[in-house]
Amino acid sequence: MKKPFAFTYCLLLLITLAIPCKTFAGWPIGKYRDLVIPSFSYYNQTDHFDNNDNVLKGAPGTGFTSFSANLLVGYGISRKLDFIASVPYIYTINKLAPGNTLTNQGAGDLVAGLSYNLVNFNFKRFLSVQVSGIVPLYTNVSGNSALGFGDYGSEVKLMYCGNMPAVILDKGYFNAELSYRKYYGTQGPEQLSFLGSIGYPITKHNQVSIDLLFFKSFSSDKLYNPNFFAQRDFAFFKPALNFGHTFTRRFSLFIGGYYVPFGLNTGVGYGGSVLAVFKL
Amino acid sequence: MIMKKIIYLSFMTLTALCASTLKVAAQQQQDAEPEVTGDVILRALPQSKDAIFKNSEEVKYKLELENNTNQWQEGRVSYVITTDEGNKVASDSIHIAIRGNGSKELEVKIPPKATGFYRINFMVNLPQYDDTVRKVFGVNPEKIRSQLHKPADFDAFWQQTREQLEKVAPKYRVMERKDLSTSEKKVYSVEMHSYGNLVIRGWLVIPTDGRRFPVHYRVPGYVVSLKPNMDNDDFIAFDLNVRGNGDSKDVINIGTDNYCLVNVENKDNYIYRGVYMDCIRGLDFLCSHENLGIDASKIFVEGGSQGGSLALITAALDSRVKVLTMQVPLFADIHDNLSISASYKSQVFPFKVFRKYNGMHPGFTWEKFFSTFDYYDPQNFAPMVKCPVLMGIGLLDQFCPPRCSMALFNHISSTNKEYICVANSTHEVNYDYFMFQNLWLREKFRIP
Repeated sequence: MKKPFAFTYCLLLLITLAIPCKTFAGWPIGKYRDLVIPSFSYYNQTDHFDNNDNVLKGAPGTGFTSFSANLLVGYGISRKLDFIASVPYIYTINKLAPGNTLTNQGAGDLVAGLSYNLVNFNFKRFLSVQVSGIVPLYTNVSGNSALGFGDYGSEVKLMYCGNMPAVILDKGYFNAELSYRKYYGTQGPEQLSFLGSIGYPITKHNQVSIDLLFFKSFSSDKLYNPNFFAQRDFAFFKPALNFGHTFTRRFSLFIGGYYVPFGLNTGVGYGGSVLAVFKL
Repeated sequence: MIMKKIIYLSFMTLTALCASTLKVAAQQQQDAEPEVTGDVILRALPQSKDAIFKNSEEVKYKLELENNTNQWQEGRVSYVITTDEGNKVASDSIHIAIRGNGSKELEVKIPPKATGFYRINFMVNLPQYDDTVRKVFGVNPEKIRSQLHKPADFDAFWQQTREQLEKVAPKYRVMERKDLSTSEKKVYSVEMHSYGNLVIRGWLVIPTDGRRFPVHYRVPGYVVSLKPNMDNDDFIAFDLNVRGNGDSKDVINIGTDNYCLVNVENKDNYIYRGVYMDCIRGLDFLCSHENLGIDASKIFVEGGSQGGSLALITAALDSRVKVLTMQVPLFADIHDNLSISASYKSQVFPFKVFRKYNGMHPGFTWEKFFSTFDYYDPQNFAPMVKCPVLMGIGLLDQFCPPRCSMALFNHISSTNKEYICVANSTHEVNYDYFMFQNLWLREKFRIP
């Protein structure tokens, strides 16, 4: 007759939820709630990989740099269904030769879609699928654009995320995303990627996370293009290290850096990002 | 190529990680079924996880038989279904044979049943081994109806009681307990005067990481001592010990055998009149101390067992409660509880106590009992609840039979209400319930 409930259960979830993930992943946003993630990224490359993973030094005075701002918004339509949309604004500097620099700027590809939570495992881990459409927000001149491929596309993403199993780590979270994206242009491309992330709280408000991104883009257009946003056939492996600070339950800030140590037909890139997560 | 090797190794590592987490998740799903050991094991798994069916569908169970001996086993597996008042409605049996160290699966299909809760006992009878697995399933529980035995002067009685409470000066005392506080939580011992001028106490725990918080107001189970709740990072936790509970025993200090019997023959002086008002006084305290960071517009009241009923009654009597969560509410639909408990082979609380009193006091008829208890049956308060409600029940609960809890639930007038049935729980709910409750609360209060 005495109350036998273990209210520690409540604590477990509170701790779990108190560790926000760096980006939107397979976690349901929550019914009627909003997620807003503005971010700013920097990318730079001077050298590039050839088709055999060999690094080719860039000519002096050449290179590619981009700055991009991205806004991701999410809305919880129901407990399982979320609407997600993101739009980037891109500024690129393509140094073709000393004194010959192309700069471009504008909105990039709008990606908007729905995410559905297929299964939740005891409310601790979530398996979700996301289907999105891609709409270029810029003008495509003769099939070329410095801001993207200029074609409509679609994406299907399978996501599995949640608490780390206690047998592996006593706390923290993981996120795994397998994604397939297709652009409906004559030369595609089709893109396959796998993102694995692990986050670990080092204090109540601070965390570190590691992302491993494997990316492969397939196209009949095999030419190397130093502009990362216009390159069609390439592959790379990109590890990233991030640090996050939770100011409040509604606001977190992340800063991270990455490097591309291995790639095919792509730049030896490095960069960083600053990202704010607002949960409303 | 190095890249291919890196990709391959990383992919394998991540795949192993995912597989590991999926395996753990699968084990946790299985953990919902209690672990059983023995020479021969019988497991009965309802087709729906919560053992709730519709009256238009068959009731299906999967039976798993496991023979852990080296010998051939031959015998019968049978089931008997009774209503929750013990009336037999169906039975069947079949012959089975299992080889040594073998296993067998059977599917039991039962024709659709009428609305209600049913006990289903599965029996395995072998020459050297007999076992019975007891389960309960429900059919259309949201359609269960019960009669309200609400006295004509019920509302006036409680209006008058509240007026009496308001005449008692609260004389709040809030004392910081540095010995119990941490860098993340400040703990306060709170004292106030309540109905009948009795002193009651509670624990207020305020996170230091913020300025204004919603409140988790917890009311106690039957003669349970609530302690400071240090587990809430996003709520101010207020745990109230009503009279006779925890550190509120200055005047009333009675054990579990007699607590619910104090003045049970007199509705005006029955102990729960003061207990219910203690819960309201706790609410008065919260709403008069917003200077401590309390967001009085976001108070959720919670409790389990007796606490579940106290939480419901608090929400019914006072609109300052914005959200109600309760588990296995005690004393609900007390009339039907009496009928259901009559079918138990051995009595359990609360009717174990009431029957004992009834037996020892010849003049104390059930009519007399109800003439008092109808003023206190949580079910009679249910129509007054207007806020969002979440209720959890255990289907194997004998203290609070599922039918009584669902009858109470169905009388709640709020349309924003949900319930969760935990198939294998007795007088408790499970981990999943609390995980869901947390998400549910965040949804109601829009807390990230």
